[in-house]
Amino acid sequence: MAATATGIYHRSYPRELALRHTRAEYSRLALLVLAMVAAPYTLDFYWLSIVNTILIAVIGAVGLNILVGFTGQISLGQGGFLAVGAFTSALLYERAALPAPLSIACAVVITAGAGALFGLPALRLKGLYLAIATLASQEIIVFIARRWSFLRDGSAPLSVDRLQVGGFEISRELFEFQWYWLLLTCAVLSVLAARNLFRSGLGRSFMAVRDQDIAASAMGVNVIRAKVTAFAVSSGFVGFAGALSAHYTETVTWESFTLEVSILYLAMIIVGGLGSIAGSAYGAFFMMLVPVMLNELISGAGAGIPALTSRLPAIENAVFGLVIILFLLLEPRGLDRIWQRMKDYIRFWPFRY
Amino acid sequence: MNNTRWTVAAAAATTLALTACAPGGGDTSADSDGPIKIGVIADLTGATGDVGTPYNKGMLAYVKWRNADGGIDGRDIEAISKDYAYDVPTAERLYKEYLNEGVVAIQGWGTGDSEALMSKVSADELPFMSASYAEVLTDPAEAPYNFVVAPTYSDQLRVGLNWIAQDAGGPAEVAMFHNDSPFGLAPLKDGQDWISEEGLDLNMEAYPMPAESANYVGLLSQAKSQGAEYIAIQNVSSPAAQVARDIVAQGLDMKIVCLNWCADEQFIDSAGESAEGHILVQPFAPGSAELEGHQVIEEFLQGEGSSLEKEGLHYVQGWYTMHIMAEGIAQALESGDDLTGTAIKEALEGMGAIDTGGVVGTGEVEFSEDSHRGQTGTGVYVAEGGVMKPLELGVTP
Amino acid sequence: MNTFLNLTVYGLSDGAILALAALGFVLIYKATGVINFAQGEFLLIGAYTLYSAFVVFRLPLSVAVVLGVAVAVALGVLIERLVLRPLVGENAISVIMVTIGLAAVLRAVVQLIFGTRPVSQPPLLPRNPIELLPGTSVPLNRLLVILVAAVVLAAFTLFFRRSRHGIAMRAVADDQQAALTMGISVRRIFAMAWALAAVSAVVGGILLGDVTEVSGRLASFGLYVFPVVILGGLDSVPGTIVGGLTIGLISQYVSGYGDPGLAQIAPYLLLIAILMVRPYGLFGETRIERV
Repeated sequence: MAATATGIYHRSYPRELALRHTRAEYSRLALLVLAMVAAPYTLDFYWLSIVNTILIAVIGAVGLNILVGFTGQISLGQGGFLAVGAFTSALLYERAALPAPLSIACAVVITAGAGALFGLPALRLKGLYLAIATLASQEIIVFIARRWSFLRDGSAPLSVDRLQVGGFEISRELFEFQWYWLLLTCAVLSVLAARNLFRSGLGRSFMAVRDQDIAASAMGVNVIRAKVTAFAVSSGFVGFAGALSAHYTETVTWESFTLEVSILYLAMIIVGGLGSIAGSAYGAFFMMLVPVMLNELISGAGAGIPALTSRLPAIENAVFGLVIILFLLLEPRGLDRIWQRMKDYIRFWPFRY
Repeated sequence: MNNTRWTVAAAAATTLALTACAPGGGDTSADSDGPIKIGVIADLTGATGDVGTPYNKGMLAYVKWRNADGGIDGRDIEAISKDYAYDVPTAERLYKEYLNEGVVAIQGWGTGDSEALMSKVSADELPFMSASYAEVLTDPAEAPYNFVVAPTYSDQLRVGLNWIAQDAGGPAEVAMFHNDSPFGLAPLKDGQDWISEEGLDLNMEAYPMPAESANYVGLLSQAKSQGAEYIAIQNVSSPAAQVARDIVAQGLDMKIVCLNWCADEQFIDSAGESAEGHILVQPFAPGSAELEGHQVIEEFLQGEGSSLEKEGLHYVQGWYTMHIMAEGIAQALESGDDLTGTAIKEALEGMGAIDTGGVVGTGEVEFSEDSHRGQTGTGVYVAEGGVMKPLELGVTP
Repeated sequence: MNTFLNLTVYGLSDGAILALAALGFVLIYKATGVINFAQGEFLLIGAYTLYSAFVVFRLPLSVAVVLGVAVAVALGVLIERLVLRPLVGENAISVIMVTIGLAAVLRAVVQLIFGTRPVSQPPLLPRNPIELLPGTSVPLNRLLVILVAAVVLAAFTLFFRRSRHGIAMRAVADDQQAALTMGISVRRIFAMAWALAAVSAVVGGILLGDVTEVSGRLASFGLYVFPVVILGGLDSVPGTIVGGLTIGLISQYVSGYGDPGLAQIAPYLLLIAILMVRPYGLFGETRIERV
């Protein structure tokens, strides 16, 4: 728990529950808002497209963190739920001609339902067994996505027409720009919603289940309700991310939802910090930027060393693994904790603690 | 509470207003005298990396050779080539990166990325060639900017079925083992239709091959109970080689007819002695066929201290796929227009036959406004003595 | 009958290799509580080490195998020391992720050195077909795989039942605190668990690489360890063996009698079915949790 500045006294409960208390926190928030608004005007389309992919990942990572970091339920089935969200929204939008906001909303609800459905049998499983069960669900969902011809356009993958809401359609020239605003709004809303969840009783019950579920039930927390709701809420967020990715990439193919994707999301929340919403965002940015940066680095530096560029993917794999291992060895609580420590250092200076 | 509502409303209004303003874009200007940029998306370390690597190598070697030979109309080709390890989202990211760098054409690789990028390349007007020979990519109505240089999987299967019908000389059972994915299923229906259209006396059953399997004896025993004597395989070389090994281990008398992705030297190397006698349907002639088109590659390789035997036929495949695109670009430049994706597309459609020295199918690749299927011919080879021996070249369905 | 016998032999042979891999997994889990996602990569390292020793450096086969085992032991001990020791006490998800990271690094190292093409290795076990019944022939190497795996698994069982170190390992798996009070060096046991797990996986990898091919695809075989572990439970070597053989047989029968594509997920379907009924696995002990 990071220290806050002294001299902050609250005179009402709403004030105490507020997300930001000090001037420093507000000014950092203002800087962040400034950066978010300035980004699309300063980045070129390639980098903007990377940011867009990251924003979708933030929503997914927040969802996964709700389940794994806040409720303590290990899940390797992220890819499967992303697939459910993506296919649902794409199918409703393309084949049932539902307007986009409605198809995305349905995707969220249906994925949440699938999560709850999965959460029920998962009530009795713990630790290793839960991890393995979610792994099994992941493999089974991918199998269905690969085989079921309903999920394809003939032999081609399901393709989604350009997003249009009412009369407004995303234009070709300003594609990344317009999507940026849409995704930014979605990401900000998701993060705020998740933060808010953990100011409420329901969120606290999730954390109680994580810490000591038997003691929690002795205290009156309905563990069954908490777990199933956690699965549902988390899957809802993930379904939202999946639906957005379907409309953004305009193709839904089973190859985007494999076990590697589940592992990538887990890596995001571990590196970012379990049990921290801000951590999910940091982790998403970090893990998605690492391969891109590596790409830039090696293409730039290795232009004269062909052996290096041809080995790039092996190096990417190695770096991915090393990043995870190093973070877990050196700072198991992730980027969020590192940031907290940086803030504390300045706050406590010249004292050590 | 009021505070929050006001903030949210203000934020929403600002967002809406900002969306209307135009931002800075990417670098889309084409230099009229500078190098011709082509984006290459390759699988070097992914699931199909073992064949993707020589393909990419051949492609880049062609660029090097062509540049040394004066480039296209005096302009060098600059090929920007990166690995996407068969991860479709990475392919999409690389595509956007290349778009940003101002490429005029894209060379892709697999069915996954080709189909995923299909609508994007037509929206962005960039001609796209790849090593995916799926039928859907040949239809200009569905995929106006995709060009398929070789016979589709369906065409290859048709040729294979013709050969089987001929070899059997009577009624025969065919088992089709395919990769358990849309790639594997692609030619199946067309194959069934062909059998009924042509009145071939064959019966074909399909069996999906599970991905991580240590043996395919289960499928073979099902094929055996079907009475199959021929096994058509639509998959890559490693699983096909495993099937070959299992056939020998089981002492079965079945002949494999491999479609292009397992019809290569790798299949023969991996299966070793078990590969003997199996039939390989391969549109790109291997070095061992020693056709006219191979000479220029062999000369180039000798200069680099290598040989066609070492590099394999996928090298040839990459080389000529890039050659066809380069010829299209040359044609577009000759017509004097600005070098845009649309100009290249029209050049490819209108220029008539592109010569490949007999290496691709029947030797000449030709597109048109109605069909982006460059070739329907393929070569039929048999694995004998550890090499691919041609049985018949330039066979069309 | 012929088909059945055929499929059974192949199923048993695949299952035996799975049992070897799963044994390593169970060893680590029981002794240290770590869920090792890198088991498949150990198989990979085993196959490639043998390849390097036998084909690249042309050492005689027995020397190559001993070298492979030695490398396995070294790798296991090193991993335990450098990567797992600092994470003692961290929550389960962190430990899982560290093994996943480890798996990525191991895969990348193999890729960097050997590339992605399958490497050709002469057959180690003879492949001539043996006629079990008239009309059914199986290659000798599959039968030998079952034999070799059986020998190794029997050796492990004996080790755990009879030797001092084996009993010490079982003690640590049962109750770490009590073992400590009895003077057992838990640190040494942890290292030994990882080393033995690596050895078991390396032998499995060598066998698998011989009957199929030595390439990066070997690692994905490791995912089937999980259904095996759920089926066989985490508490006994015989259970693991039964689990491995059953999963191998089921995959084989499904591919032989049903939709072959299903063979890939049949183990997972079985796994979910078992977990619904018995949340601690078929032979697992119900964990008693105290607050």
